[in-house]
Amino acid sequence: MSKTVVSSSASDTIDILEFEVMGHAWSAIAEEMGSVLVRGSLSPNIRERRDASAALFDAGGRMVAQAAHIPVHLGAMPEAVRAVRERSPKPGDVFILNDPYAGGSHLPDLTLVEAVELDGEIVGYAAVRAHHADVGGMSPGSMPQGATELVQEGLILPPVLLSRDGVMRDDMLAVILANVRTPDERRGDLRAQLAACAAGAHGLRTLIAREGRERVAASGRALIDYTARRAHAAVRALGPRAGRATDTLEGDGDTDAPVTVSVALHVQGDRLVLNFDGTSPQVRGNVNCPLAVTRAAAVFVLRTLLPDDVPTNDGIARAIDIIAEPGCAVNARWPAAVAAGNVEMSQRITDTIFLALANAELDVPAQGQGTMNNVTFGGDGWTFYETLGGGQGASSRGAGPSAVHVGMSNTRNTPIESLEWAYPIRIEEYAIRRGSGGPGENAGGDGVVRRYRALEPCTVTLLTERRRRAPAGAAGGGNGALGRNLLNGRELPSKCRVQLVAGDVLTIETPGGGGWGRM
Amino acid sequence: MVAISLLHSYRDDTHEHALAAALHAAGIDVDIVCSSDVLPEIREYERTATTVAESYLRPGVARYLSRLGERLRAKGYPTLSVMTSSGGMRAAGEAAKSAAALALSGPAGGVAGAAYVARLAGFPNALTIDIGGTSADAGIVLDGEPLTEGGGEVAGVPIALPRVLVETVSAGGGSIGWMDDGGALRVGPRSAGATPGPAAFGRGGTEATVTDAQIVLGTLTARTIGIVSLDAAAAHAAVGRLATKLGVTPERAARAMVQSADAAMARALRRVSVERGIDPRRCALVAFGGGGPLHACALADHLGVRTVLVPPFAGVLSALGLAIAPERRDALASVMRRAHELTQADTRELDAVLAARATGGAHRDDARATQRWLRARYVGQGHELEMPFSPGEEGASLITRFAAEHEKRMGFTLEREIEVVGARIAVSGAAREPKLAAPHFADETRRGPAVIALADATLFVPDGWSARALPIGGYLVERNA
Repeated sequence: MSKTVVSSSASDTIDILEFEVMGHAWSAIAEEMGSVLVRGSLSPNIRERRDASAALFDAGGRMVAQAAHIPVHLGAMPEAVRAVRERSPKPGDVFILNDPYAGGSHLPDLTLVEAVELDGEIVGYAAVRAHHADVGGMSPGSMPQGATELVQEGLILPPVLLSRDGVMRDDMLAVILANVRTPDERRGDLRAQLAACAAGAHGLRTLIAREGRERVAASGRALIDYTARRAHAAVRALGPRAGRATDTLEGDGDTDAPVTVSVALHVQGDRLVLNFDGTSPQVRGNVNCPLAVTRAAAVFVLRTLLPDDVPTNDGIARAIDIIAEPGCAVNARWPAAVAAGNVEMSQRITDTIFLALANAELDVPAQGQGTMNNVTFGGDGWTFYETLGGGQGASSRGAGPSAVHVGMSNTRNTPIESLEWAYPIRIEEYAIRRGSGGPGENAGGDGVVRRYRALEPCTVTLLTERRRRAPAGAAGGGNGALGRNLLNGRELPSKCRVQLVAGDVLTIETPGGGGWGRM
Repeated sequence: MVAISLLHSYRDDTHEHALAAALHAAGIDVDIVCSSDVLPEIREYERTATTVAESYLRPGVARYLSRLGERLRAKGYPTLSVMTSSGGMRAAGEAAKSAAALALSGPAGGVAGAAYVARLAGFPNALTIDIGGTSADAGIVLDGEPLTEGGGEVAGVPIALPRVLVETVSAGGGSIGWMDDGGALRVGPRSAGATPGPAAFGRGGTEATVTDAQIVLGTLTARTIGIVSLDAAAAHAAVGRLATKLGVTPERAARAMVQSADAAMARALRRVSVERGIDPRRCALVAFGGGGPLHACALADHLGVRTVLVPPFAGVLSALGLAIAPERRDALASVMRRAHELTQADTRELDAVLAARATGGAHRDDARATQRWLRARYVGQGHELEMPFSPGEEGASLITRFAAEHEKRMGFTLEREIEVVGARIAVSGAAREPKLAAPHFADETRRGPAVIALADATLFVPDGWSARALPIGGYLVERNA
């Protein structure tokens, strides 16, 4: 292990002693970006549930710090910056993108990337990703069920210039706003995202003014190298081992045919190799995901194996090799639809990697709810999207927590009072779903019940999982209870789009987590 | 105790009170707390958690305060008052009825004391840092008053009542330096605390703490720290062991430990200022607590601050804060109206409702100062900005001022309607403002590097800074031009 990062001149050497000081400095800026975004935005999904991420990159496009809000954004943000750098941005430019095949994840995630300018040069990048309540497409909320092409899911933005020299390109903004259902809200959220990027740019320039350009650049490299060393060490500590696992999604939204995720895991020295051979080819429905999302899932799994004090940056991904055939469901190609891939396929990839770790005889928790329970309402002039918590899997260390987000989702819930204040929906029940956790020496966590009454006609889109195939218990523990979707007491499929009239009642019961150990 | 929290009671408290009455009528003879009385604000989770905290804390706090009051009375002390989270004093009997409002009172006294000293020294805007053995508390003073806002929490439980803003970080004199699995130096969050304490205190501590590092650097000595039995050799040995592991000299390890603690504290100071649209460079820094004056100038350099104020009694400034804080009553009200609809009569009525809640309806002769704030946001936002208002102010004026505040804090404005979510009031009694005077004042200036032993703390003046003694006691430390 090298103790000092030696580079060309003495002035740009950051050693182990300064590491924590510079780590604080970078992270503080990313945090400030996140704070501006969450406080300034309009979408409940961003402001209340914090379905958003802010990250700071060095001049070479490497992610140095991230205000970690959402795991699914963890390993995926660097792709966005890479895609923007391929467009040769000028210093100070702000690009916007959401194209899953050019740096994005799924269309509602609009990502802004600012090329931070200092003395006419690019000294780093500030990137902010946020899940907007609507980006157009075939159904309100832009999380459609039944989409078979990306173009149906909403407005597609390859990396395009949004602002230059501090001036917003009104023509580009006009195109975006003309293609969404709630333009005013989008305009507000984009302003908040721009302000968050500006906060990041300002913070980075201030840091450089204090510490000097070389030192800041060197500290960025050193922080990433440091995380990579810790990640490699954590993988090496697993010892040489291998495991294989297969799990499925229950339908692609177009048909009910199962979609297989298969992974063979090998620990090779200090590298974690994940081979997705055997995974279904990309499907007609929209549970596919681009490789960036698959990488995010893998980074998330490795992150859970690292101590909390390891900073989150590009270094984690360096310890992971992913092999996935182009055109398979976890490395989808244009024009595959992907809206549900980011939320549901990412969960299943995580589940499957954990299962492979268990099969490699590592002590990992039982499966959690394995879905984000995506619920989107759309009515006259409004859209509302949320995901629901459920049961976490139990582990050898204890019972699984109830009513929490599991795996690739980390959002808060929408306060009932905020929801009812803003939308024609009444929540008639929001409760822990007692008894839904799998039995075991340690019981799985319980899911939740959320019952909505529509007060106006509206469209509801559900993208859910684990309605037919239960979260598995581990080490002899029982499975968690299946989730259920009900309209006026009648069971609905796991993925569907339904019209509600005023007075209709939609009930979502989320899955329990698997239990651990025999009773 | 029973806590009642019903959805939307922040707008209409009828059902909560009817339920409370029905419980009483059914013969349930316990204290009942309604969420609409504790925290009439939107968001059921925070309101319910605060209400539950109130009902959980009230019996214990009431018992404790009444026993303490009796014992003090028996010994001939005056009536017991208690500091609240918002930095004011309440008579013990009254305080016991709003127990949740006391939950974050600990660090409030320090910021109140810092605000007073900053005012006396002519700095209306100041950052404050209180550095103790295990943690450091960052706060902010604007226009001579500690900044208060909602949104605090205790042990993960939101207590959303007005409180003096304080950001706490686990960094202090007792924070332990260690080498992590990646071979990097880390400081904290583990602390040696009071026992065993730093190695130098000779109470069995063997790990290198920030205090030990200061001893290795010579900024702390037996003379400055006032401990006769200071074991400097133990400090050198502890830091030396860590330095060997890291492969550097003890001096370098010690310097890096102090810098690392500084970075964590500077981050907390940035959070209280930058995230509120306040440029730290426009503020003085008031540094207190046993460790404050040691770290002050380094923190100022981090933030671009050029003026550091080291108050008299730096080690016990919280006590000064308690002594000077006026009586204060806070009250909240829900509004939920569009700003443009608000008329002069509306804001007058709102003020009357708030004032009645704060004073229990009674006219109080001792009310000397009243501050009022509105919490507002663009329609659709989830977070509110707080800004002062005056009774009789109308919508148009509020809209203009809101836009200016939003621009300052967030960096942009929107073409959207503005929604006033809630309002609050603070009614304060006369401040007790003792004259402060240094007992042996000598007009002297010391240029750094210098170490100045204070009565209960140590001031480190690095190269590039100068410290001037103040007639009120303490020092003004400024960056050399």
